Amino acid sequence: MAVESPSRGISTTALYCYGIVEAGAGVRQPGAGLGREPVEPVRHGKLAALTSAVPRVRVRARRNDLLTHFDVLGNAFERGTVLPMRFGIVFDDEDSLVAELLRPRHDELVGLLRELRDRVELRVTAHYREQAILAEIVRENERVASLREATRAQASAHPFLVELGELVSKELQARCRRDAQALLRALRRVALRYELDEQPIEYQVLRGSFLVERRRVDAFDNALDAFATGHRETIDVKLVGPLPPHSFVELTHGETR
Amino acid sequence: MAVATHGTASNYLQRAPSPSGLADVVDLILDKGLVIDAYVRIAVIGIELITIDARIVIASVDTYLRFAEAVNRLDLTQTEAAGLRELRDGGGDGGGDAEDKAKGMFEGLKEKVGRD
Repeated sequence: MAVESPSRGISTTALYCYGIVEAGAGVRQPGAGLGREPVEPVRHGKLAALTSAVPRVRVRARRNDLLTHFDVLGNAFERGTVLPMRFGIVFDDEDSLVAELLRPRHDELVGLLRELRDRVELRVTAHYREQAILAEIVRENERVASLREATRAQASAHPFLVELGELVSKELQARCRRDAQALLRALRRVALRYELDEQPIEYQVLRGSFLVERRRVDAFDNALDAFATGHRETIDVKLVGPLPPHSFVELTHGETR
Repeated sequence: MAVATHGTASNYLQRAPSPSGLADVVDLILDKGLVIDAYVRIAVIGIELITIDARIVIASVDTYLRFAEAVNRLDLTQTEAAGLRELRDGGGDGGGDAEDKAKGMFEGLKEKVGRD
């Protein structure tokens, strides 16, 4: 298979890979790459990898580099389906990109592109408003309310403080489970798949990505909006997207040769 | 194509076409995206790891004490008043503080020095 972009320096640069698109959608992005290098398609069969030259020396990832990676994919996403690579993947040169990724994984990548056509990633984050949710817990749990009164009057009542804090923590976790489940129930109906970020963060109800058909994005928005409206006093809800399907591109593991 | 979503559009759901903070971008491109299994030879740039310095949920006495203090600091009359104001005004200003707080939490990025 022909590699169509001009060959680059052999030893001083490597080839950074942003993501994979269909061959016809592999469009040059002048000056859009890391270090303002042009983003060039490297084509093989029905695929094009979006690449740019990077110095072969160890590169320190800076804020701009991360945003650049994201923006190159965003530009490609405006033209069609794109399979985002994780940040930081580099090949020796075009030949090794073809030999190590595009050729051995050709059919699998083509299949993934087909599967993700007209599907977008939507990211959802929901957080409790600290003051509002704590006030609700005080109002709804009598033991919390009375411990609060007792410890407020006597600030050094350590054992009671621990008990109070533990109760509050449990109440918070119970609410989190309940609200996260309600939110998932509402969104599952309009999403094809979802991936939740595992690490729990204080006051976070849910953080995750949903794979949604493009034509159902408004339905998803409506479902999330209804939840946000219903919980407006205690939960802040944010929707980001549509994005390329960063969270839904997986290759099956296994030997390629 | 990549436009913000627009459903019934209440003021309660915050919408953005793309991540606003670096931390949100990091969430997407450092943890997610295509990786190739070990049988293919690729190099990953020597990124200095970026970790999210967020308070993760840990059950400990320290955490409990922090919750207890937060609850004790609460001014219930104020939160009730704020709740009422919010209902009346349609929630225009109620979210500001919490949003800032959440952002602060996610944008508290720090770089680890650990090179590979």
